[in-house]
Amino acid sequence: MGSYLIRRLARTLLVMLGISLVVFVFVRSIPGDPAVAMLGERATPAAAAALREQLGLNKPWFFNPANPLDAQYPKYITALVRGDLGTGLKSNIPVLDDLKSRFPATAELSVAALLVALIVGMPAGILAALRRNSIWDNLATTISLLGVSMPVFWLGLLLSYFFGVKLGILPPSGRLGTEFDIAPLTGFNVLDALLRGQPAAAWDAVRHLILPAIALGSIPLAIVARITRSSMLDVLNQDYVRTARAKGLTERTVTTKHALRNALLPVVTVIGLQAGALLGGAVLTETIFSWPGLGSWVYDAISQRDYPIIQGGVIFAALVVSVVNLLVDLSYAALDPRIQYS
Amino acid sequence: MTTTTVPQSKPKQDSIFWRRFRRSTPGKVGAVIVLAFVLLAVFASVLKPYDPRSEPNRYTLRLKPPSITALWNEEAKQTYTDPVSGKVNVFAAPFGTDNLGRDLMTRVLHGTRISLKVGVVSTLLALVLGTLLGVLAGYFGGWLDSVLGYLTDVMLAFPGILLAIGFASIFSADNPPLLIAGLDRLFALNSPQLVTAMLAVSLVQIPVYLRLARGVVLSIREREFVAAAGALGASQGRMVFRHVLPNSLSPLIVQGALSIATATIEVAALGFLGIGAQPPLPEWGTMISDSRQYYLDAPWTMIFPGLAIFLTVLGFNLLGDGLRDVLDPRSTQ
Repeated sequence: MGSYLIRRLARTLLVMLGISLVVFVFVRSIPGDPAVAMLGERATPAAAAALREQLGLNKPWFFNPANPLDAQYPKYITALVRGDLGTGLKSNIPVLDDLKSRFPATAELSVAALLVALIVGMPAGILAALRRNSIWDNLATTISLLGVSMPVFWLGLLLSYFFGVKLGILPPSGRLGTEFDIAPLTGFNVLDALLRGQPAAAWDAVRHLILPAIALGSIPLAIVARITRSSMLDVLNQDYVRTARAKGLTERTVTTKHALRNALLPVVTVIGLQAGALLGGAVLTETIFSWPGLGSWVYDAISQRDYPIIQGGVIFAALVVSVVNLLVDLSYAALDPRIQYS
Repeated sequence: MTTTTVPQSKPKQDSIFWRRFRRSTPGKVGAVIVLAFVLLAVFASVLKPYDPRSEPNRYTLRLKPPSITALWNEEAKQTYTDPVSGKVNVFAAPFGTDNLGRDLMTRVLHGTRISLKVGVVSTLLALVLGTLLGVLAGYFGGWLDSVLGYLTDVMLAFPGILLAIGFASIFSADNPPLLIAGLDRLFALNSPQLVTAMLAVSLVQIPVYLRLARGVVLSIREREFVAAAGALGASQGRMVFRHVLPNSLSPLIVQGALSIATATIEVAALGFLGIGAQPPLPEWGTMISDSRQYYLDAPWTMIFPGLAIFLTVLGFNLLGDGLRDVLDPRSTQ
């Protein structure tokens, strides 16, 4: 387990290095001069040059023959290792500070979306597998098919329009009503409001979460339902399930204790693989619901050529995906004792 | 001897394919939907001639509801009444009109051409490139496999849409690189940004095919018939392209149909974010993006283009499921 962990961590670090390199080159290939973007179109060439000098953008990218470390990428990496992501070009706020306030919003939305996916998707998949070819099975299959076929941004707009505007039963956008103010603790509004003893604010935060969480959760829901169904079917046909039935165990014990636990392994994998999809979907969902998270932040930064924010945001997103994948790999051993890492 | 068996087995294989395909309900429904959209795309100009760049603004018809509402809505009835004959035309604008008074149905219809072209081309590019790399990695292994595996790991760690946004924002529209300008001409898309978005979506899919092809090749490489071909003195290239690759195609075809669906959604998503096709091109995602300023008063401007995306994607997903039923013998349950 120990040596496996070290190798796995080393690979994750190597991948992170590759990611930082890709992002670094990508960001510098976006047309447009960040100095001009900061100063405005009427900036004098001299002022733009001075600003580039100040930001270090006039340095070579990778290698400076005069001083090997005095180039943009080495400086960027050494700063990154120290946790310094630079400062937003427009806002002049450290990227890390922005990240600290933005990420919890995205995390809260993603967790809510995953909850929607699990609470609806898993029972639907289990039911479909237990009552195969019944009306429930067809219903679950249809729902999961509709889920993967629905563009997230269209579903978001439809939900916001019908439930938010037409029926007016849920807020069409935003994260919290203006009448509430929650002092951040964990950054998760619902949790913070409860911890601070503001049930009304917590309820308002939950109401704001529902529509974007359904929109963002639609695809994971479909996938979870599909995988749960096929994995359950697979397990229910195994010999040990027949043995459990032959022992005279109740159908309930057989399904919950014997079948379900083993059927969950692929589901966990799929949830892990959805981390990247959730962060990607958050870009669209957050734009539609004016959700102040990572996705809308990076998206705005791209249109404003705000290099440090794009770099910081994308690298952070990739880090989250890598860490989640690592955790998923490690959780196999906990779920399935037969798997031993060496 | 072998040459005589080939013409005999060919029609038999086809009939197995069709017999199985006919039994797959999702496959049939998907094929019908996809075929319908292909026909609409091919005959779009015959059904409703339209040039997005030279359309007069019809401000009197701005944001009018679908013409069927003329049956019960007095205001809509006035809009769609012919001033000369005094007759109500409920088919004047079946999907309503947009903010410039353009007929939405015509635009959605012509959007079919764009979406199908872009979805299919981006998937084919990814399939060919990814498969080729995957086959090489799987067949030869060694450092090539390690390097490609590492690159795949790096690419898959990015949320796909962020990678696509990043890629799409690199190239300027005014002065597109030769490759993009060339593809633009080749597929008559008339939008370098759309081509960039298409390539971005394609790029994001490459690792998927690389992994899939690599895995399949690894399992086939060890089979007896490949070893037999090697023993008979077949060259490496012949082994890969005549023996291994043709036997690896089934999962790739299934994945191909499914990823046309994904590509369609992602290109539309880029259009929605303002990075893909630009107005006045009738690309569905771009149309939904346009509608965001008006959809509270005119929801049809958002509903119909979205419905078109949804149905196209549904069609390809169903077709992919159907092909899986037919081609992947493990999933017969």
